[in-house]
Amino acid sequence: MSINIIPSHEQILHFPKGEQAHLSANEWLIWSSSQDEAGNVTLPDLERSEFKKVLVPFTWWRSQLEAHQEAEIQAKAKLGQIGVWFAADDDILNYADLIEQGKTLWPLVAAHFPIFRDGRSFSTAALLRSRFQWGTEIRAIGDVLIDQLLQGARVGFNSFALRPDQKTDVALKQFDLFTVSTQNSWRGQRTLLQSAQSEACLVNAQPTHS
Amino acid sequence: MYKYDHIDQTLVDQRVAQFRDQVFRRLNGTLAEEEFRPLRLQNGLYHQRHAYMLRVAIPYGLLSSQQLRTLADISEKYDRGYGHFTTRQNIQFNWVTLEDTPDILADLAKVEMHAIQTSGNCIRNITSDAFAGVASDEYVDPRPVCELLRQWSTLHPEFAHLPRKFKFGINGAKEDRTVLLCHDVGIELKKNANINNGELTADIYAGGGMGRTPILGSLIKTGLPWQLLPSYLTALLRVYNRFGRRDNLYKARIKILVKALGSEEFARQVEGEWLHLQNGNDNFTQAEWDRVAKHFTKPAYQSLEKLSAQQVLELAPAADTAVNKAGFQRWLERNVKDHQVPGYASVILSLKPHGTVAPGDATTAQMNAIANLADQYSFGELRVTHEQNLVLADVEQAQLYKLWQAAKQQYVALPNIGLLTDIIACPGGDFCSLANAKSLPIAKAIQERFDDLDYLFDLGDISLNISGCINSCGHHHVGNIGVLGVDKDGEEWYQITLGGEQGNAAAIGKVIGPSFYADEIPDVISKIINTYSEERSVDESFIEAYRRLGVTPFKEAAYKNKHENEKNKDKAEVSGSAA
Repeated sequence: MSINIIPSHEQILHFPKGEQAHLSANEWLIWSSSQDEAGNVTLPDLERSEFKKVLVPFTWWRSQLEAHQEAEIQAKAKLGQIGVWFAADDDILNYADLIEQGKTLWPLVAAHFPIFRDGRSFSTAALLRSRFQWGTEIRAIGDVLIDQLLQGARVGFNSFALRPDQKTDVALKQFDLFTVSTQNSWRGQRTLLQSAQSEACLVNAQPTHS
Repeated sequence: MYKYDHIDQTLVDQRVAQFRDQVFRRLNGTLAEEEFRPLRLQNGLYHQRHAYMLRVAIPYGLLSSQQLRTLADISEKYDRGYGHFTTRQNIQFNWVTLEDTPDILADLAKVEMHAIQTSGNCIRNITSDAFAGVASDEYVDPRPVCELLRQWSTLHPEFAHLPRKFKFGINGAKEDRTVLLCHDVGIELKKNANINNGELTADIYAGGGMGRTPILGSLIKTGLPWQLLPSYLTALLRVYNRFGRRDNLYKARIKILVKALGSEEFARQVEGEWLHLQNGNDNFTQAEWDRVAKHFTKPAYQSLEKLSAQQVLELAPAADTAVNKAGFQRWLERNVKDHQVPGYASVILSLKPHGTVAPGDATTAQMNAIANLADQYSFGELRVTHEQNLVLADVEQAQLYKLWQAAKQQYVALPNIGLLTDIIACPGGDFCSLANAKSLPIAKAIQERFDDLDYLFDLGDISLNISGCINSCGHHHVGNIGVLGVDKDGEEWYQITLGGEQGNAAAIGKVIGPSFYADEIPDVISKIINTYSEERSVDESFIEAYRRLGVTPFKEAAYKNKHENEKNKDKAEVSGSAA
């Protein structure tokens, strides 16, 4: 899937930590920084859009800073109208300072799946959560299919712009499929550790014969 | 061996339910084949030439008799009465249907088995030494670490869609029986009084692999405390997940990344990432070790005297025929291995009878009978070797003669372990849709050509491995003699490599020259073997002779008269068509 044809979504699947999964109306346009008809690369006019907020490519955000357009985009960002999305090949660790600054600027960040079987954005989300302690919403965008939801939810995504052909009723059920885990994730500690600890407690609780 | 607790059991049960739903959606058309494919592969289900093939994990090669009986039942109920043990401690069923697969997985879950991550671009079934816990040359029993890492890697969310497949091999013995250096990550376990308070540590090799670009792994970390394996491996896999190539399937394995960066730079990047993770709560705890390790205690061995070789030989009744006695002696020599505990031995059951349909195949009846042998002679447990044989690890020496007789009844007592006919082979073009050429008829033809135990014993240790394509499932790169099926203009040809070796002196074989037709292969192997017989010094093995002599005499012999033969063949075909 080309990043130029990121579809708009009417609904977003939300799965906040510790809560039930649910659908809600989408507020965000995903902009791919492609050229308009006149050949210019300009932010979409949100006034005329059905969406009042826009996710811009991280590379475009960087280019604006380099072109000293900082004041303009930060003004928009301060209105809570701009978030960024990371392409699968964006090396976020190379831009740690920008991302730290983004914590106060971007109400939403997203990571893009060029195709469902490309797992790079799983690591992007995991790094945002663990290295940057990203506390707010991280959205999966692009080729997001039902059978990636569980993995995505565990690495750190808490909202999903499902590919439009995906059945939302099936999608909503995915998060209940597993009640146990064998490695830690953003959602919580491995349940297997709990059984090891309770066994250890039992052993320790047994009376010792001296 | 390890027993599931309710969490392990819940996980495999829920995985079956998840896959059942995925199959349901595939069958009702809401899940496209292209999108179902990675999902079924991550559950071991391939679509082969004739049917679906299900690859079931035998984690680090350990199998109970009850599990083997279930595999036998599955082979009878859902397949065509046999199963194929693979080079990575899995078993494959070649004739299953998509519709049956969820039920097969449910049957497997009942005996604590699954097909999770036996294929796909994820962390695969973890392999280890088939003699773990019993080998006389072992310094660390690798099984607790294998099991802890099996758990850690199972359904790991961040590494579910890696650039390519990812294989762990784990060794804890002096001799490497795992082909450690041909794994994406090789973990060598050690104990050293000066490191980690004398507790277990790991040396990590990265970037090994066979396939199109065979490379031996590079040492990137030494003395890693066992507790820190999850954080270190997370760092390693994260670097690979982020930077491994995804533009070219053939350059996507970690070995290409390690080669491109250089192993030092790769190690540096892993260290950089690990710095942030090593003190995190991903690491293993002592409580986890204790919970797992208690399953790998020694079975209830009797206190026995070690029998000498002569005493074992004398287990054969005095009235036994000379032929029988010689047969028993040969079996003891090739198929019985030393054990850590006095009075015990490990026995290899050969799944390579001469003229077999496929190396590593076992029929339903054989699986059931072998399960009984395990109950009767080896505490109800078995191991699967990467050479595609089965092992009864804990046999009383005093029972060896009885076991030999029982094994003969099942045709799994051929004393050819480590000999020329103990061929490793993939299923090849008879089954596999990836294959360029057939492997099984080649293996059969070679076994038939060399169906003479006197001669095979005289030749001694030689490994001959056959792969039907460059994916190298038959491990041809590390065979002393490797045979690789290649496609040339739609015809099946075979390339020969020499000098490959597994074990501590692991080496990748070298191609000797242009490839051969299938029907030339037995003659070519004969010429190579004859060269060895003529040129060898006393007690010199094939690989030692090859190293001393170099490729030239073998190559010259292999191609001698090839041109003449081809001309004659062409003439015969011309006259044939004229008639």
